[in-house]
Amino acid sequence: MSQAAGAAVLVEGAGKSFGSVTALRDVSLKVKPGEAVAIAGRSGSGKSTLLSLIGGLEQPDSGQVLIDGRAIWRETHPARARREVVGFIFQRHLLLSTLSARANVEVPLIGARVHRSERRDRALELLQEVGLADRAEHLPHELSGGERQRVAVARALANRPHLLLADEPTGALDSQTSERVLDLLFRLRDALGMTMIVVSYDSAVGTRADRTVSLTDGRIQASGEPALCTQ
Amino acid sequence: MLAIIATNLLRSRARTIFTAGGIAVGVATIVALLSFTQGLRNTADEFIHLGGSELGIFQANVSDPTASILPASILGQISARPDVARATPLLLMVEAVKTDPAAVVFGADPNGFFTHNLVLVKGDKPRSAAHEILMGDRLAEHMHLAPGGTLTVKGRTFRVAGVYHSGVLFEDSGAVLAIEQARQLTGRSGEETDVVVQLAPGARASTAGISIEKSFPGTQIISDPEQALRAGADGTLISNAILVIVVIALIVGAISVANTMAMSIMERQGELALLSTVGWSPTRVASLIFGEGIAVSVLGSALGLLIGVIGGGLLVHALGVSAYVSPSVTAWGLGRALLVGVAIGVLGGIYPAWRVTRMTPLKALAGT
Repeated sequence: MSQAAGAAVLVEGAGKSFGSVTALRDVSLKVKPGEAVAIAGRSGSGKSTLLSLIGGLEQPDSGQVLIDGRAIWRETHPARARREVVGFIFQRHLLLSTLSARANVEVPLIGARVHRSERRDRALELLQEVGLADRAEHLPHELSGGERQRVAVARALANRPHLLLADEPTGALDSQTSERVLDLLFRLRDALGMTMIVVSYDSAVGTRADRTVSLTDGRIQASGEPALCTQ
Repeated sequence: MLAIIATNLLRSRARTIFTAGGIAVGVATIVALLSFTQGLRNTADEFIHLGGSELGIFQANVSDPTASILPASILGQISARPDVARATPLLLMVEAVKTDPAAVVFGADPNGFFTHNLVLVKGDKPRSAAHEILMGDRLAEHMHLAPGGTLTVKGRTFRVAGVYHSGVLFEDSGAVLAIEQARQLTGRSGEETDVVVQLAPGARASTAGISIEKSFPGTQIISDPEQALRAGADGTLISNAILVIVVIALIVGAISVANTMAMSIMERQGELALLSTVGWSPTRVASLIFGEGIAVSVLGSALGLLIGVIGGGLLVHALGVSAYVSPSVTAWGLGRALLVGVAIGVLGGIYPAWRVTRMTPLKALAGT
């Protein structure tokens, strides 16, 4: 698999509200290229909203979010910008139920208009990488929870992103499966050199990340080395 | 993209079947009504060309042409006109055969062109006009009768002398009796329902019709199917009712198809939002929706065409009106229904597709 350089993330004074609920207040964060950052916090603290702003799925009400200097949301084609820079993993795998594991991994490549044979090769290579080469033609309902999440990881890597955003990637998995998925994520991050931001309740994520950012009521409370934040 | 469209349709069989089914119902309704309307027009066309005539003279302002009453004396004056080659009177009896109320019995002059133009396929011409009758081949087949059998008309029994075929649905589904016998049976001595006319060479039906109407006040001339459909108060009512029904069917069909398409897409917001999240442009997501919309619409429309054609025929038989109208399916009618089905299916997908492409991916994903 080819190397993808990590992206630099800059969040400056970002704020976001949904109606009368303020999800984020004046949040600032810098993530260096290749860094793995864990975002911790209680439910409703604004973790997922911050991830959505970074990934360009939502527009900040105030401040700015830049990925390698690009404000994805403001670009003429935000979807294309996401495709070029970001890979997403969600708590629920969100695989398309009618497509095989291989076809699901190919979906982002179809959006990028990659030729069919290259799409197929790259999808099989990624499934091999996540240990599912023998399950390539299986439908999502024929896979276990852990296997589905590994397919979602392969899909997130399909367009060789510079930034991998994972929102509770182990939230729906048992502890053993969670451990294997985290092993996979951090191994791929080391191998590919991409930047990774993981939102998780799981303390195991914090201990593996380079740094943990803690959010409370939409504000960053602490940002530092894993040991500092898990105390 | 095509592979994803095909896979989505094949693997989501229930969704595909129900969506296509919704479209099929709308298209079938349109096909059935269009073929029924065309059938009525054909029937009307046959009605004015009974016995090979070019126009028919009826009493004006009657509720229905079969209720027309003309004096028998009018025949001589019409026959004497230079623009008329031949004219013959007809007395129409509806619901005269108890065992097949849809059959029309024609009281006709045994020496007129109407009777002469009937082609006998079985038996002979009546030797005794007072006791014998001719039957159309469709009626004979329906009633399992042959020459030598008996047919009861208005309570009086006639011997079937022969079976004819004219190629006109009305005539072949009915019977022909001498007009004097018909007058006796209906108590309409010296009267007839209409006079059918064959024009002299060079005479035009429209011009001759206007001239005859002027010469015989109180008559109306029917020379084209539209006039026949509109003739009389009932005809106008039926004609307008058909127009209203067709428009309602189109609207109901369109709403049904658009609603089905919209529901099918709205329930997939999460899936479509995911495509946007992983980098599909709004145009590409919309292409997927349209591709699936077109495929399902074509499938549903094809099914609808089949149901409409078969169902229309079965309905006419079930309602016992096959003697009056036979649904007529034309390539243009089928083409229109197919176009309407596909267009409605695609149009039905526009609003939800637009909404999905405008929705923030996160909001849509939250609904999954």
